[in-house]
Amino acid sequence: MIPDRVLEVLTGPAIMFAGTRDADLRGLHTMAVGAFAHDDRRTVTFFVPEGRSTKLLDNLRDNGRVAFDFGWMSHEAYQFKGAYLSSRPTTDEDRARQDAYRAQLVASLREVFPEEIARPLALGYVYVPGVAVTFRVDEVFLQTPGPGAGTRLA
Amino acid sequence: MAALPEEIKAAMQGVIPSHVVTCARDGTPNATAISQVYWVDPQHVALSHQFFSKTVKNVRENPRALAWVISPQTFDTWDIELEFDHAETSGPVFDALDMQIEAIASLVGLKGVFKLKSADIYRVVSVTKTEGERIPLADIVEPGAGR
Repeated sequence: MIPDRVLEVLTGPAIMFAGTRDADLRGLHTMAVGAFAHDDRRTVTFFVPEGRSTKLLDNLRDNGRVAFDFGWMSHEAYQFKGAYLSSRPTTDEDRARQDAYRAQLVASLREVFPEEIARPLALGYVYVPGVAVTFRVDEVFLQTPGPGAGTRLA
Repeated sequence: MAALPEEIKAAMQGVIPSHVVTCARDGTPNATAISQVYWVDPQHVALSHQFFSKTVKNVRENPRALAWVISPQTFDTWDIELEFDHAETSGPVFDALDMQIEAIASLVGLKGVFKLKSADIYRVVSVTKTEGERIPLADIVEPGAGR
C-alpha cells in the first residue's frame, strides 16, 4: 500500500512528526525519532519520547486519528493519515533502529547546515525512554513543496 | 490572548523549518512543515499560504492551529496555539513575508516555487516552551557513543 519511494523516504534521514487532535479539534504536535513500516506495508510504528507521549496517547485513545509528516533535507516529503492501533514502551531493538536513524539524520543535516546547527538539530531530541506508536496507514499524500503538494498517492 | 516572548524571535526567522498541525471539521488532523512562522506582533503571527491547501482549507472551517518552532541558537522549542483571523493579499505583512519566503526559497534552491498567495494572520492563543522534547546541548552525544 505504501509506495516504494515513500517507504525509502520514511526509513531514510527524514525529519518526522505526528499531528493528532483532541476532542475539541485542537491540534497537537509531537516530534518522532525514527519510524518503520511493517511487512504488510500498511502499518507503521514511530517513536516518541515518553515525556511527550501523554497528550499524544490521550488524543489517540480518544479518537484514533493520526497524521504523520516526514521529509528529507531535499524537501521531498510525504504525509500519512491513518488510525491508531497500539502503543508500548520502546525495546532494545527499537533503540537500535533509532540509533541508526539518528546516525543517518545527522549525516544528512551536516550536508545542509553548519555543525553548530546540524548536530543539535539531529541528535538533540530525547528518545530514551521512548514510546512506540503503531498506526494503520489509510492514505498517503505528497507533501513536497510545489504544485503537486497535497496529491493523494495511495 | 497570549503574547509571544522576545526569546522566541530567533525561532521565527525561517532558519529551521517550522511545523503546523490543523484539523478538518470532520476531525481529520493534518501535519505539514512550513518554511517560517512570521512574527507580526506579540499577539499575532502570519503563515504563508502558498500551496499547503489542506492547512488553508482546515483553518477556514476550524480556525484552530498548532505551530511548533525551534530556535537555531538555543534549540529550545515552542508550541504556539493559534486561531486563524484573516488573510492579507497585499500590504506590509504580505510584502515582508513574500520577500522572506523568496529569500528562504533561494537559499534552499527552490526559487520561484514558493509563490505567496496570501499572508494568513493568526491570533496567538497560547505559547508554551516544550518540556521533555530536547536533550540539553551539553548532554548530546553522537550515535553509538552511549546514552
